[in-house]
Amino acid sequence: MAEAGTVLYYIVTLFAASIRMAVPLTLAGLGESFSERSGVLNIGLEGIMLSGAFFSFMAAYITQSIIVGVIFGCFGGLLISMIHAYMSFKCYVDQVIVGIALNFFSLGLTSFLFMAYFGRTTTVPQCPVVKPIRIPLLSDIPIVGDVLFNQDIFVYFMIFACFVSYIILYKTVWGTNIDAIGEHPKAADTVGLNVKKTRYITAIINGCLGGLGGAYLTLALLGFFMENITSGKGFIALVVVILGRRHPFGVLFAALLVGAAEALQYRLQTLGSGLPSQVFIMLPYVVTVIVLLFSIGKSNDPAALGISYKRSSR
Amino acid sequence: MPNLQLKDIFKEFPGVIANDNVSLTVEKGEIHALLGENGAGKTTLMNILYGIYTKDVGTIIWKDEEVSFKSPRDAIESGIGMVHQHFMLVPTLSVAQNITLGIKDKGYPFNNRKKVVKDITELSKKYGLQVDPTQLISKLSVGARQRVEILKSLYRNAELLILDEPTAVLTPQETDNFFEILKKLKKEGHSVIIITHRIPEVIKITDKVTILKDGKNVATVKTSETNENELSNYMIGRSLKTFSSREEVIESEDNGLVLEHVGLNKKLKTLTDISFQVKKGEIFGIAGVDGNGQKELAEVIAGIRKPDSGTILIAGKNMNRASFKTRKKAGLAYITDDRHHEGLVLDMNVTENMILKDYDQEPFSKKSIINYNVVREKTEQRIKDYDIKTPGVKTPIRLLSGGNQQKVIIARELAVGPSVVLACQPTRGLDIGATEFVRQILINKRNEGLSILLISADLEEIVSICDRIAVIFEGRIVGIVKNGADLDLNKIGLMMAGHIGETVNS
Repeated sequence: MAEAGTVLYYIVTLFAASIRMAVPLTLAGLGESFSERSGVLNIGLEGIMLSGAFFSFMAAYITQSIIVGVIFGCFGGLLISMIHAYMSFKCYVDQVIVGIALNFFSLGLTSFLFMAYFGRTTTVPQCPVVKPIRIPLLSDIPIVGDVLFNQDIFVYFMIFACFVSYIILYKTVWGTNIDAIGEHPKAADTVGLNVKKTRYITAIINGCLGGLGGAYLTLALLGFFMENITSGKGFIALVVVILGRRHPFGVLFAALLVGAAEALQYRLQTLGSGLPSQVFIMLPYVVTVIVLLFSIGKSNDPAALGISYKRSSR
Repeated sequence: MPNLQLKDIFKEFPGVIANDNVSLTVEKGEIHALLGENGAGKTTLMNILYGIYTKDVGTIIWKDEEVSFKSPRDAIESGIGMVHQHFMLVPTLSVAQNITLGIKDKGYPFNNRKKVVKDITELSKKYGLQVDPTQLISKLSVGARQRVEILKSLYRNAELLILDEPTAVLTPQETDNFFEILKKLKKEGHSVIIITHRIPEVIKITDKVTILKDGKNVATVKTSETNENELSNYMIGRSLKTFSSREEVIESEDNGLVLEHVGLNKKLKTLTDISFQVKKGEIFGIAGVDGNGQKELAEVIAGIRKPDSGTILIAGKNMNRASFKTRKKAGLAYITDDRHHEGLVLDMNVTENMILKDYDQEPFSKKSIINYNVVREKTEQRIKDYDIKTPGVKTPIRLLSGGNQQKVIIARELAVGPSVVLACQPTRGLDIGATEFVRQILINKRNEGLSILLISADLEEIVSICDRIAVIFEGRIVGIVKNGADLDLNKIGLMMAGHIGETVNS
């Protein structure tokens, strides 16, 4: 009996952890879905998340307020995303190149500022972290209650954001406009849609959600910041977007899959199998590559993805 | 009182005067043709009216008011709609979504699909524009897409419709249907401007014609008071050429090119069971609406794609596994439909483009070293032979006109003495003079005994120079007919729309 209880507890915590691991990927993936549907490929997602993680941590550390941390997380993401938008739409620089450059820029900037502020310390500076919110009644449901309804505010926001994104993209004229602009910007332009404005808006959404995704790492999962804290999560989020085919629930599902791999690897590490821990750390990345293999040949990329729109003079 | 007046419109692009004091007047309920060659400035003029370009000088008066549209949106809001030659439709969205794109209707931002579908159905009944509002654009035929484009303008209450080369991609039946629609539009009081270079159409459907040449007004005449010859004289300064050399065919039983049950991509059915023979001394035409597998067929024959099944014989030799180069050596010449990306390297000069395919062969090079003296000589010779107008042999090919670029390709392909010529849309985008030149060369080569496969979406071209005509539809040959005085265009039109026809082998 006690044995069964332990296994059950183990499974519940694994599921609950999978969901938490999926939060940063889902949030960033949703933002990137908006961006890519409108035809803007922002490889700088890693940079957006890293910047979001750093600024949210700094704000929360200094003010000891999580809300301020969240706001600055959005701001940090926006900073990178707006540079990307400006360089792409105004200067017509290749979107992929700008994205790559911004990833390095963000890595350098956050590491430098962090070091400049704290110097070399032996103690890791901590910031406050969000606490789980138990939803009355719902959280009393066995298993499901513990997995879904005893989580932090970010998890609830993630589910909320998926629904809202779904409605915007599939049930409103805005979604149609975004799709039209990503698929055939010239056609959209000739019927009076503002291609640049729409793409700036999706870039803002991308920056905010990506920044929040980064903020979740510091404000919920870890409570501290260190150099390159995102360690490739932004890139995994890009894969999640492809796997989820830019559909909000597709993104959520793909993120849960990768999240589960990550939650599992932490547990496997503690089993004491004798294998080096790096083997387990690899797991989410290996899963990412394997699932990516299954999506071969099913591309549904917007036709104008990665191409900045220019009304030709002739 | 005229509905629309363009007065002395002047527009200069860097180095070119596109419109040189052009004027145009269109009445309410009038179908007006804007006739001219490629590059005569027709589309530029209409783009100025529609707000895509801005004019340098001139006045536009629309419904008694001087206007100057800054963007297409302004034009649409004032009741002017334009159907571009390349449709402005989003393939991944539905018909209804495309028609209402950019419109803020009741309930915004939420979709109101029911009301939109109802409105569109009503509108399409009124004008005889049949479409299914819920269908995806990517699933529609070219003719249906055009109807969607017209509906898109009408839905926005367009009183004046500008149609850029509307019949270029239609089957004969679709064209007839399109003319019916135009008549209905006229009856409802809409004005229509048709941009075209096809004279028979102008005679058939329009009320008035304005002819442009080199960006200038040549004449404006009432259609009822003119004829094809006069219009042709206005447009190109002479009568149109008719090709009547078909009678002197050298009948031969030898086949230059044979395809037996060729298939490509079984899943998508890009090409299915394609069989035909092109005899020596014959021009064999492949007609069909664009995008029915023509390009793929050309690439399979040229060796760019490998067929999944069937055999391809060039001069009696099996070429299934042969590379592009081996096929060329076996006697195949390939005139591609995509001059800019496949036929030429635009940044290279005339000489370099002239030897693109033979630079590694004698006499152009020996032991991997190119002999530029020979190359220059040969190039100069070909420039003379094919009447290529270029400032020099070192001129970047980019700077040549489309017609002269095409002549370079043809010179390069034909000068090495091929036995089979594969010509894919060889006159697309060329002006009338160059078009006639290319057609004449194909006829000359046919008369010399070469096998010529002409793939063209331009039915008029196929009918005017081919000996036998095959029709391709969704990757299948639906029928092969002999060309001649008794040719039934109606039947070809039906085959282009997918109806199975007969097959004639002789």
